[in-house]
Amino acid sequence: MKKSSIFGIIIIAIAIAVVISTYSNSSTYGTFTEATETQAELHVVGHLNKGKELYYDATKDANYFSFYMKDKDGKECKVVFTGTKPQDFERSEQLVLTGKMQGGEFHASKILMKCPSKYNDNKLNVAEATPKTANL
Amino acid sequence: MDIAFKNEHLFVGDLGRLFVALAFGGALISFISYFFATREESLNKDTSWHKMARIGFWLNSLAIIGMGACLFVILYNHYFEYHYAWSYTSRSLPVYYIISGFWNGQEGGFLLWMFWQAVLGNILIRKAGSWEKPVMTVVALSQAILGTMVLGIDLFGARIGSSPFLLLRNAMEGPIFSNPDYLSFIKDGRGMNPTLQNYWMVIHPPTLFLGFASVVVPFAYAIAGLWQKRYKDWVKPALSYGLFSAMILGTGIIMGAFWAYESLNFGGFWAWDPVENASVFPWLTLVAALHVMIVFKNTGHSYFTATFLVMISFVLVWYSSFLARSGILGESSVHSFTDLGMFWHLVLGILIFLVLSVYFLAVRWKELPITKKDEDTYSREFWMFVGAVFLALACFQLIIFTSKPVWNAMFGTNMGPSEVKEYNIIQASFAVVIMLLTGFTQFLKYKKTDSGRFFITTVVYLVFAGAVTALLAYITGAYKLHWIYVVVILTSIYSVVANSKILIDAFKGKYKLAGSAVAHIGFGLMLIGAVISAGTSKVVSENNTGEQYSAEFAKEENPRENVLLYKNEPIEMNGYSVTFLGDTLEGAQHLFNILYERKDATGKLTEKFVLRPNVIQSQDGMSSSPDTKHYPLYDLYTHVTMTNVLAEKKEDEKAGHDEADEDKNYDAPMAHEVGVGDTIRYRDGLIVFKGVNKQAKLQNIPLTEKDVAVGAQLEVITHGRTLSAEPIYMIKNGSAFDFPKKLEDAGLKLRISKILPEKQKFEITVYQQPESKKKFIVLKAIQFPYINFLWAGVIIMVIGFLMSIFRRNKELKTV
Repeated sequence: MKKSSIFGIIIIAIAIAVVISTYSNSSTYGTFTEATETQAELHVVGHLNKGKELYYDATKDANYFSFYMKDKDGKECKVVFTGTKPQDFERSEQLVLTGKMQGGEFHASKILMKCPSKYNDNKLNVAEATPKTANL
Repeated sequence: MDIAFKNEHLFVGDLGRLFVALAFGGALISFISYFFATREESLNKDTSWHKMARIGFWLNSLAIIGMGACLFVILYNHYFEYHYAWSYTSRSLPVYYIISGFWNGQEGGFLLWMFWQAVLGNILIRKAGSWEKPVMTVVALSQAILGTMVLGIDLFGARIGSSPFLLLRNAMEGPIFSNPDYLSFIKDGRGMNPTLQNYWMVIHPPTLFLGFASVVVPFAYAIAGLWQKRYKDWVKPALSYGLFSAMILGTGIIMGAFWAYESLNFGGFWAWDPVENASVFPWLTLVAALHVMIVFKNTGHSYFTATFLVMISFVLVWYSSFLARSGILGESSVHSFTDLGMFWHLVLGILIFLVLSVYFLAVRWKELPITKKDEDTYSREFWMFVGAVFLALACFQLIIFTSKPVWNAMFGTNMGPSEVKEYNIIQASFAVVIMLLTGFTQFLKYKKTDSGRFFITTVVYLVFAGAVTALLAYITGAYKLHWIYVVVILTSIYSVVANSKILIDAFKGKYKLAGSAVAHIGFGLMLIGAVISAGTSKVVSENNTGEQYSAEFAKEENPRENVLLYKNEPIEMNGYSVTFLGDTLEGAQHLFNILYERKDATGKLTEKFVLRPNVIQSQDGMSSSPDTKHYPLYDLYTHVTMTNVLAEKKEDEKAGHDEADEDKNYDAPMAHEVGVGDTIRYRDGLIVFKGVNKQAKLQNIPLTEKDVAVGAQLEVITHGRTLSAEPIYMIKNGSAFDFPKKLEDAGLKLRISKILPEKQKFEITVYQQPESKKKFIVLKAIQFPYINFLWAGVIIMVIGFLMSIFRRNKELKTV
């Protein structure tokens, strides 16, 4: 067998290994309900319940932040994050949490926020524009 | 019904749109003319196609400059009737950021790309000689396709491209736009995202886009080589341009990493974010391509691999652009751009160049100079080829993993984004192989090498590298890392050592190989720096306090990385005494002064510096950038993650200064009866009653003979500082008044509430701010060791690329 063929086979094997590992290693997106059923890390997409309390008091503990999030199915869960409250958190439109369920709380190791779009949406905020006439 | 809108500056926009059309038209004419010029070259001497093609391209170049000028006028003059100006700039934005506002939006990014491609095209027109026609056909095609991206016209009900000259009232809907005078309601733009208000934003995008744009040149040469059946000649000129491209693209990527490290609060230089990864795809394949091109040039082997890698690099430039701009990454990237309705337009862009590549390869397949004989095992070309394939494999892994959102969209799967850990381990494995190859291949010659001698040198150098690694791993603590990272360090050191030998030989006269040796050394150092720095970086702001909420929490979730710092209350952190001194406003920047002091065993101050992390406040948010103290061997990185200083300022403005309101800012007052020399204890220190000032004076209040004003001279000792205060008590016209003294820094208010003459005592009331009302910041500090290896490695690598470019250019001229 030619050397190049052997090399080719090795390369193909590595390529296949890469493709398979994509799927097997992959954490998945899920809901809070699914999070209660598994021990694995999960990404949960949802939005902040702005009606409930966001707890962060740096003077008590600078590394404890809790809030309530509703996932895509509308299920609500308390979320605890070790760290400071991310900037502009209240304004977030969508949250992606990475973490797992512990007791009745979802312990997030990472929070990714989608903020509205001050920088990318196309809705002109008229409420913001009108009061400015008062300055005239 | 048409409304006559007031105060709009429509002329600039109309002119801009004219330039957009001209740019597209020019590029299209140029493409068609170059195409026919190439085809008819052999038939006749008629040069009219060629002339027209050049004129078309020049027209395109001028129109692009015109577009840039129009956009600049709009941004500079704050014409908010244009969506682009309104979206990305505001009146308060400093002029130098107007420049970065230019490429803040996607349209500006395309404009930048077109601009660089036009510059490169003009260089090619001058320099390419016999290659001009076919090569420029491809460049003009690319230019025309980019032109469609900014067209912004409606065709058959679909919007083609997105124009930077779109009017605000056309971009969005709102009742406000039925008012002819709507502009007087729009006083300001939305402004630039505070994280982008940084000088890196001024230079990083142009560099990166020059890197992306320049990949078209080797691609065009590869196509031209197939088209014109000049299979051998294309490599030489393409090599120079390819080196340039890899150098600039690499620099642009690292600038982004440096920006993230210096100015963004990612807490590192690389996060395997999809958009970051996407910019690396073409770089990896291009670097692989360069190696195989050299193999082909020297030995005639690997023609197909060289062509394929060059082609795929440019297709990947488009793919990378698609990932960043189509909105498909959605929730998995922090760089997220939203879809401008160009999803399929971008897909079409990828497909055109992919199909073009496949077509030419297929048509010429039988003629391709593919060698039948294998390379010798002990030859440089064989192992260079293997190295290139592994680079391509590393790229393949990145693509497959990064594209998970694409697979999700295509196959309806539900995969979450990959973790940093996965990328680190897999890419480290590839790095091991690649670094090993860049090491031992240096000891091989083209065609055939004496195997015995080769093995001896390889092993000798490997043993030496092993010794250096052991030492380095011990010093830096890197031996505690996953074993694969130690192997990365080992192979990188091996590569550095082996290439250093080549460099020394180069000084002895074999100058030709110096460029590659320097580039390899740089790359090796870069990897060493990256692995050690990221692997052994340590959060030094560890927090071991925390109250009832976290006792249980603390057990499972370590480490706790943020510490709370009250103003003027120092804490100990990793051998430093750290104090939050206060904040200063400088323009839009809000700087927090943080004093670091280090003392030796005897308590003598050995080191003292102030770091000033910055918090930019924009209309509705804050964005924090770190400040870093650089030492030769490590960096100390500090950033503010949270503060109550900004919020308080706002409240102050709202509330005004109402006495009754103000008392709410303090805990319940405590009254103390004291005589001279007495001491009052309070939560944060001591207050000593030093004496009585019987001639106390008050500004603006004249005292008559009958009136009395007495001041209490107080000394406040808190957290190692001594402050003095003198509250005053006054009797005027028979009524008593008291004038309290506020010590903002100490969070105290002191007042004489009563004078007790019979006891010779004063009643002093102490108001102190509750902990939560005191000014504080929450801070995170990270120590990055040996990060300078990374930056030095990059600079050395770029120098290596430059040396290689000069060498290849020299070869070009001599042929």
